[in-house]
Amino acid sequence: MFERRLYFHMDWLLLGAVYLLCAIGVAMIYSASGGSRLYLTQLAAIALGSVALLICLGLDYRSLADRSHLIYGFIVLLLVYVLIFGVVRGGGRRWISLPLFNLQPSEFMKIGLALVLAQLFGDSRRRTPSTRELAIGGGLTALPLLLIARQPDLGTAATLVPVLLAVAFVAGMRLKVAGILLALAVVAAPVVWTVGLQEYQKGRVLTFINPSRDPLGAGYQQIQARITVGAGGLWGKGFMQGTQGQQGFLPVAHNDFIFSVLAEEHGFAGVLAVLGLYAFVVLRTIETARLARDRLGTLLVIGALASFTFQVFYNVSMSAGLAPVKGLTLPLMSYGGSSVIATLAGIGLILNVRMRRFTN
Amino acid sequence: MAGPPVVDRRTTATRLAALSVAVVAGFCALAVAFWYFQVVENATYVRMAENNHLRKLSLRAPRGVLFDRSGTLLVENRDAFTISILREHSADLDQTIRRLSAAAGVDEQQVRETIRRHRGEPSYRPIVVIDDATLAQVSAVLARRLPFELPGVVVERVPTRRYPAVGLGAHVLGYVGEVGEAQMAADGLRSGSVVGQSGVERAYNKMLMGADGERRVMVNSVGQEITTLDEVPASEGRRVKLTIDYELQQAAEDAFRGLGYEGAAVFLDPRSGEVLALVSLPAYDPNDFATGIDRVTWSQLNTDRLRPLQNRAIQGRYSPGSTFKAVVAVAALEEGVITADFTVTCRGGASFYGRFFKCHLKGGHGTVDLRHAIEKSCNTYFYTIGNMVGVDRINKWAAALGLVGRTGIDLPNESESLVPSTAWKKARTGEKWYAGETISVAIGQGQVSVTPMALASLYAAVGSGGVHYQPHLLKATDDGGGWKDAVLPAPRGVRLKPETVAALHDGLWLVVNGAGTGGRARVSGRDVSGKTGTAQVISLQGAKQAAGRTEMDLRDHGWFAFFAPRDNPEIAGVVFAEHGEHGSNAAPIARHVIETYFAKRAGIRPLPVFTPPAVPAAPAAEPLAPLAGAAGR
Repeated sequence: MFERRLYFHMDWLLLGAVYLLCAIGVAMIYSASGGSRLYLTQLAAIALGSVALLICLGLDYRSLADRSHLIYGFIVLLLVYVLIFGVVRGGGRRWISLPLFNLQPSEFMKIGLALVLAQLFGDSRRRTPSTRELAIGGGLTALPLLLIARQPDLGTAATLVPVLLAVAFVAGMRLKVAGILLALAVVAAPVVWTVGLQEYQKGRVLTFINPSRDPLGAGYQQIQARITVGAGGLWGKGFMQGTQGQQGFLPVAHNDFIFSVLAEEHGFAGVLAVLGLYAFVVLRTIETARLARDRLGTLLVIGALASFTFQVFYNVSMSAGLAPVKGLTLPLMSYGGSSVIATLAGIGLILNVRMRRFTN
Repeated sequence: MAGPPVVDRRTTATRLAALSVAVVAGFCALAVAFWYFQVVENATYVRMAENNHLRKLSLRAPRGVLFDRSGTLLVENRDAFTISILREHSADLDQTIRRLSAAAGVDEQQVRETIRRHRGEPSYRPIVVIDDATLAQVSAVLARRLPFELPGVVVERVPTRRYPAVGLGAHVLGYVGEVGEAQMAADGLRSGSVVGQSGVERAYNKMLMGADGERRVMVNSVGQEITTLDEVPASEGRRVKLTIDYELQQAAEDAFRGLGYEGAAVFLDPRSGEVLALVSLPAYDPNDFATGIDRVTWSQLNTDRLRPLQNRAIQGRYSPGSTFKAVVAVAALEEGVITADFTVTCRGGASFYGRFFKCHLKGGHGTVDLRHAIEKSCNTYFYTIGNMVGVDRINKWAAALGLVGRTGIDLPNESESLVPSTAWKKARTGEKWYAGETISVAIGQGQVSVTPMALASLYAAVGSGGVHYQPHLLKATDDGGGWKDAVLPAPRGVRLKPETVAALHDGLWLVVNGAGTGGRARVSGRDVSGKTGTAQVISLQGAKQAAGRTEMDLRDHGWFAFFAPRDNPEIAGVVFAEHGEHGSNAAPIARHVIETYFAKRAGIRPLPVFTPPAVPAAPAAEPLAPLAGAAGR
């Protein structure tokens, strides 16, 4: 399955940037967890993720897209399974218990959805997606979204929306339709607020608007995140020298707030370097989409990129107290097996498309 | 053409380019935001982070230790423990209060009340909820001080005042308490600082306070100390030696208790103004205040009819009665109005300005000169010479000898002593002085009202010929570099004519050693010279009779003022026996202190033990004779 000549078309720069981010992540986890053994688990996850990356790289993306409905269906079944038999932790039923770590199927749904949407819109000949196709796409997105929201995990559920929007946008969806959808979202917002959100979720949003409303609860994290970042200065306090993350002022520092720890210990300089790496990964991936041999490849890359980019922006904003606190990881850097494996699998797909741009 | 339009490669490329632009813009926006927080606003967040993980713990400075003049310990410090709640680290305050109250066995409601009272303070400042915790409470809390069980609970060791001789010299030493709002602002003190509230503790508070230290510790998010970063140790307040003689103080209080009197007494060294003993009874136990006085004890002290918080020696004002005759004699002699040989014939009283003023001896004293008039305390004699001298010259000489106004003793809240004058009455009431009023003043009644301290100072002055020193309590201080004697106050007053001094001293000597009323103060070979006096209660405070006072409270107060020995006195003072009925009942107290003083000086041990006089009744020679207008003995 792996032809030798493909080796020469491998995007080594992208791969390098991705593993550099992983390495920085491991170092930050080591620091944020006070030198505990959590980083070893992360290294194991990266190893497993690398296997997933190789699998996604090795199989031709077209054959994967042909089986996208099976992959999608399988993950939807896992989500249903989780809702019934999943492990409850931190107020949500999100995990399937596995020997090494707990599997979070919602993370893999991002790839499953990218595949099935790319297949849906790429299948059609080069034309603007029809209303029917958009409706099907919407349905394919809504099903897992609702399942994940039921866990409840609104953060991860929300990451599916950019996948649909980005794929449809690049597929040529008319801007008028996009405008209508946006208008609908605005109208729907109050309805979602009153009937869709639970009290604690409303609380989080209100607290974001006014952190002092709950300075010891949700607002506390937001205030502490801002302090952590702001105290870093230009050059930071040095590796393992941060006081905010080290002494537990910042909760789940190794997970959702890994970027705050980086900002504290390595300052604005470290922030610029890591943001630069992420920007490189995103722009390089958009270029991959442009270079793709076919429409399917373009859409697949965009689908895989959409949730990744959304999460980077959201998490980095949150880590500076600029967005409500949500359990959204920073792809590649945050501690979390499922996130790392799913993200690396997605990177595998992207590399796959670029590598095969000249093959037939 | 039906169906959606075909999408060409150009459209796809354009949209991808748009995405790229959006992504670049997004990253730039994030970079700007981080630049703003991390570089522009850096200082603000650094400070906030430090408040997060640095905690400043104040190390209370022990107050300076107090000694008596010969080095006997009067006040020291002991370690007490306080238990506080640091709200900043107590996520669930309610639960912390509940668990702490249960662990320490204190009333939960009271803890809540304390927290509520301090709720306006910043949350990083610990609120003391248990003062002077018992060891059982401390260990109960420390055993549980897991950050998860009692987060934000802090146990601190604080040096606390201890007064080993319970209640002895309470009004000299005073007491300490938490600083009040006004004082906090005025002296730049921290909330919760302990300051002197009364007595020497207050007068020399700055000297005694020392400087609190500070320990900066690194804490984690639940307030657990991780390491100490640096420490500025507390520096103890200055050690202070008072002029008080512990054994004389004890002798004086023993004598008061032996006779069952409340009252006041002041004993001075007339050669320097040093206060050797200062008594005010009833007193309080300063230990009750050391860790914050409880409400019950405080309200008891405040509502007690006997006013134990009042320092009678410097705040109580009483009419001096016959002890004031010394002032009238000085004025008459110094102004040349009479000589010591001037005689008056007493027939049991005399008429002035159309009104008859009685002497206390119904049959009269016969013809007496100044010496014998003092000895017998003849009112008629002093009515006569007082009338000749006039009130203004009496006032002038009272002031010269330090009886008017404040003595300047180094204790807070001294009252002013008052000897009237025509100018004073004009200013006070707008009315002119009537010559008839002078007659009462001449025997220390009427408007004359003085503190025991001022009267003691007067007798010190009379004893040493007019020149005297401001009474004071500070003997020496030690800020770690050895004892340094306090600066002696400059002498004041006037040097009296030798004839005046001789006549006065003779008369006062006769009071104690002749046929006078002060016989109970006699100490053989010590030439005690003094004067008794009676301060009437009924005529001055007749109004209070209506207020339901008991009969006992209407008994007169007894004075005994003295110096000893007669020539070059070493000790002078005054004893005020509240409701002692007569000055002769105050004399035994003075006698015991004088005897103790000379025994100490001669090195005689053991020191004398107080024994009450065998005959408790007032001397028959001078029956109590309350008169219309004035009386005195």
